[in-house]
Amino acid sequence: MNLPTRTWIPGPERIGADSRAHRAGWWSGFLWSLIYPTTNQRVMPTVSGWVLIGLAFGIGSAAYNAANNILFIALALLLSCLILSGVMSWVNLRGVSWLILVSRPLRAGQEAPVTLELRNCKSLVPAYGLWFDLLTRPVATGPRRPEATIRATSGQIRAAFTQLEKLTVRTTLLQRERLNPRGETRLDWTFVPARRGMVRVELTSVGSLFPFGFLRKSHGIALRRDVPVWPAPVEYRFVEVAATPHPAEGVRLAKAGSGNDLLALRRYQTGDSHRLIHWKASARLRRLMVRQFAAESTPGYFLRIDATPGIWPREEQFELMCGFSATLAEDLFTDGRIVGAVIDSGSVIEIHRAGDLETFLDRLAVLEWRPFQREPALAAKADLGAGGADSAGINRAAPARRNIITFAPEGIRGVAAYVDGKITATA
Amino acid sequence: MLMEKSRPQLSADELQQLRWLLGGLLILIAVSTVAYMDVDAWLLAIVATAAVVAVVLRPGLPARVPPLAHRLAFPFIAVFAAWDYYTSAELLPAMIHLDFLLLVYRAVSYRKKRDDLQIIVLGLFLVIVAGVLTESLTFALHILVFTAGTLAFLFVITLTESGMTAGVAAGSGMEPGKSSGRAAPPAWTAVHWRHLFRRLREIADWRLIALGGALFVGVVAVSAFLFLVIPRFQVNSGFFLDRLMTKRSRAGFSDSIRLGDVVDIQQDNSIALRVDVSDPSHIPSMPYWRMVVLDEYRDGEFRTSRRLKDELARSTRTTAYLRGLPTASGWPVAWTFYLEAGVSRYLPIEGPYQRVQFREAQQVQENARLRVVSLRNDPVTMTAYRVEGLAGEGYVPDRFFAEALRRAQRIPPAPVGNAGRPGDSGQPRNGYPLTTLELPGRPADVAALQRMAGQIAAGGVQSAAEFSERARLWLTGRHAYSLQVELPGGDRDRVVAWMESGRSGYCELFATAFTLLARAAGYPTRVVTGFKGGDWNAYEDYFMVRNSDAHAWCEIFDGRAGWIRVDPTDGSASGNSGAQAAAGQSGTVVRRSDRTWSARLDAVRILWYRRIVSFDQRTQFAVIAGLKDTTANLGAAMRELMGSTLRSLRSWGNGPRAGWRILSWFSGATATVWGAVLLWRRGSSLWWRRAGGSRRGKMDPVRREAGRWLRKFGECGASPVEDSAVLSELQRLRYGSRSTWAAPTAVFRRARRAMRKHARIR
Repeated sequence: MNLPTRTWIPGPERIGADSRAHRAGWWSGFLWSLIYPTTNQRVMPTVSGWVLIGLAFGIGSAAYNAANNILFIALALLLSCLILSGVMSWVNLRGVSWLILVSRPLRAGQEAPVTLELRNCKSLVPAYGLWFDLLTRPVATGPRRPEATIRATSGQIRAAFTQLEKLTVRTTLLQRERLNPRGETRLDWTFVPARRGMVRVELTSVGSLFPFGFLRKSHGIALRRDVPVWPAPVEYRFVEVAATPHPAEGVRLAKAGSGNDLLALRRYQTGDSHRLIHWKASARLRRLMVRQFAAESTPGYFLRIDATPGIWPREEQFELMCGFSATLAEDLFTDGRIVGAVIDSGSVIEIHRAGDLETFLDRLAVLEWRPFQREPALAAKADLGAGGADSAGINRAAPARRNIITFAPEGIRGVAAYVDGKITATA
Repeated sequence: MLMEKSRPQLSADELQQLRWLLGGLLILIAVSTVAYMDVDAWLLAIVATAAVVAVVLRPGLPARVPPLAHRLAFPFIAVFAAWDYYTSAELLPAMIHLDFLLLVYRAVSYRKKRDDLQIIVLGLFLVIVAGVLTESLTFALHILVFTAGTLAFLFVITLTESGMTAGVAAGSGMEPGKSSGRAAPPAWTAVHWRHLFRRLREIADWRLIALGGALFVGVVAVSAFLFLVIPRFQVNSGFFLDRLMTKRSRAGFSDSIRLGDVVDIQQDNSIALRVDVSDPSHIPSMPYWRMVVLDEYRDGEFRTSRRLKDELARSTRTTAYLRGLPTASGWPVAWTFYLEAGVSRYLPIEGPYQRVQFREAQQVQENARLRVVSLRNDPVTMTAYRVEGLAGEGYVPDRFFAEALRRAQRIPPAPVGNAGRPGDSGQPRNGYPLTTLELPGRPADVAALQRMAGQIAAGGVQSAAEFSERARLWLTGRHAYSLQVELPGGDRDRVVAWMESGRSGYCELFATAFTLLARAAGYPTRVVTGFKGGDWNAYEDYFMVRNSDAHAWCEIFDGRAGWIRVDPTDGSASGNSGAQAAAGQSGTVVRRSDRTWSARLDAVRILWYRRIVSFDQRTQFAVIAGLKDTTANLGAAMRELMGSTLRSLRSWGNGPRAGWRILSWFSGATATVWGAVLLWRRGSSLWWRRAGGSRRGKMDPVRREAGRWLRKFGECGASPVEDSAVLSELQRLRYGSRSTWAAPTAVFRRARRAMRKHARIR
């Protein structure tokens, strides 16, 4: 699993204060931030806040009308409570940092866990009552022309926003418990990506009503993480198994496996068999070392994904093809029978490790369906021999391979997989 | 990363229980304002207290209230408020009763956030109204406690609300009246208070409590600062709450007193008046605080005549200043009076004045002839006023009285048959100034008075002062002073009958008797009520005048241009200012000094009145000017100090062998500082060990330091072979038993060297 780098994001005050401090010195920036809110900071009174403001106005008016010092005392106390509220709210958010972790892989239609890790760097004061507004929305990949809205009507703009809003999933995570000084906590959330593609998980704002609920303070954060969503797994069935014997069958591969050849020595990990311990190396290095054997080669397959406009007249079939190819690639990788893949005219991806598979699936995730605007081309049912042009007339300049799996539409809704031109499986 | 040992946290139910408890406490604090608000709401307060205590101890009780009761609650409260206002005709007491009822209702219902906010607003209303009405020192304590409670309450509300998911009430409250039957109480109502308090003790961190306390002190300090700097403007619109409530003053200080009214006041030992003087040497030996002048006599009762009352009523105006006639004493001495509410609308003033100033515009009435000032209505709060140019010595100038009396005596009297009663036109038979010679209606009483006056005068002609002294001696020789007096009955005038008896009497009897005797002798005389004397509070140097100092005395016209004060009551020898003046004595400052605990407490109250209640624009400017002067003086002092220090340093530096001396001083200072640092480092470690710090679960500083070094070695990739000795020593310090430690300082020194070597290699 590809874990993100754990770079803690400091709280908003630090961001805001730092950005100004660099321009004009720390003290002037700090004082300015007390008067003029930092960027993206919003402060709105709540009901109790409005009540307090109304009370202050009322008592102040009565105090000046009657010149009564008792009322001035009450007014002074109300104002100082407001000041205290602001100070405590500022202290509460200060020193809190957060990190968004999105557990990969994400798959369309499956729950995707998102974790928000909070850390309180303060040494004395805990943090209370924070909330975090998260949203996820699909993002377009690749270059896009900027939209021109000069001629757009308000209805069109509203429709565009409504459409965008439909695809957006929002939630608010509440920090219910106290976050102790120098403590950490995690807030978990799951969402279900509707479709494959690139999804953006964004922390839009952090807010709090702390301490007295007078003011609803929220800071716009715009902390984003774009994560690819792999296609959903697809059920398929084999029509026939066809494979050309690979000349390199039985050859040792440079990856760990259950073969007989010693590949390397590595440190002992919990769960390793004691019979694998290499005692001599362990004595020499003064730590437990185990033997690691190489895998033996098995017949491998090469996947070719062709997203040429026209091959896939229907988007649903294209999506099915993406899911089918992803599922097939994972199954083949599990069996150790995949050697590589290529998407359109992109570079060939040699798949030997899990990371290579993830790279392929990541590229598959962002593959776009493009409708063809001229006559649809013929489906790629021809045999893709070494160096030959495919049915679209494009010389892929593919290396000389066998066991090449390609995909083509089958019927109105189905997708078939071909191994060297022979149909092998359908979905 | 070091993480604090995790403290337990309150669960959602425990937070709800704490919220319920704090809400109840806030209601109790608000209800307790009835103790000093002088509003007839004791029954409601008792009911509210009982209800709050019951539901706080048993939170499941509100669930037993039938939904019908909730539906009928607001109509009942509305009807009660309307009936209360209709019967009492006073808006403010009705509002206070309504507030109580609403608080009771909120106390016995399960509450949501808005209901909790209502409690805060209703409670704040009670506390502020109580403070505004009474201006009492208790208000200061009340508002502080209420503020602290409110902040804690709001804090817990915020925690509970933030812990709830949207749309789930988590059992915070039920919707009363919306279910057909009684719903089950929320889960959190199953509370065990001891368990909750134990949990609170567990989660309490002394550092956070100290921080919270410091924050609250900060709130108070900031509010004090804001109170000082909030600009004050003179709007001159007057106080407004007095229109919403009426208060009756004591009968003895009204414009009509019956025998015994002043005595009733004397039973009360509470403080009625406090007097600040800018120059205590100007305080007379026995001050008489004049309030009401009573000239008309009817059937044993003295009252202010109709003409004087009309004059007073016609003089009504809204102002913050009153100008009297110029007096001999001029301006310098300022007297500040703090008259408690419920005493009288007549303001006690020692004598003629030049100026009277109030805190804000008041509806005042003034009779310049009589030197009487009164408020239009009985004040509901403490009244503060400042008098300047006060001339005491018991003499009230009145240049026009003689002429007015002569003119009045030339006017024929009203027809017979209207003796003692107003004529058909509604005008009194004898208006002022003739009322100052008025005698009882019965001829027999008049004859008796004339006979007694003749005895006093002994056939001679005396001045008013001489006659008053004779009459005083005559009265005190025949009657002793006593508050327990039974007046003789019968058809005769009671005072005349008393004079002919040998019974003891109180001040009203003495004053009335003297007045009648002097009038019978032909001297215009009137009765004055007010306060006499007082106790000197030595803690804050001011006069405390109690209700028990209420007194009645007389003023006799001297025949020329003024009235002489005469106090005929037995034991009041020093009250006869005329005799004193005749004897050429000047009043020495002999005051009864009060150093009791009640005086000490009252000193705090006068500070409250002086510094807070009477704080106005002038005081604000004075504070700012004082701050400015203090800052300027401080700055000058600092400059002087620095200058003298520099001069002495310069002379020291220019002296012989200056170089050696500077070097030795510098070395000595460096050695001292270094020694102190070493001592501190060693001493703190030793103290930690001896104080058993490890028993409290905190990290030993040596172990902590060793851990830090181990982490550093780990981060910089130290070689386990080369640095094994240092690492093993550090591990022993970090994990090993204290008895196996090497000297930590030496170990850390070696670790430092090893780290430097790594740094050089890298």
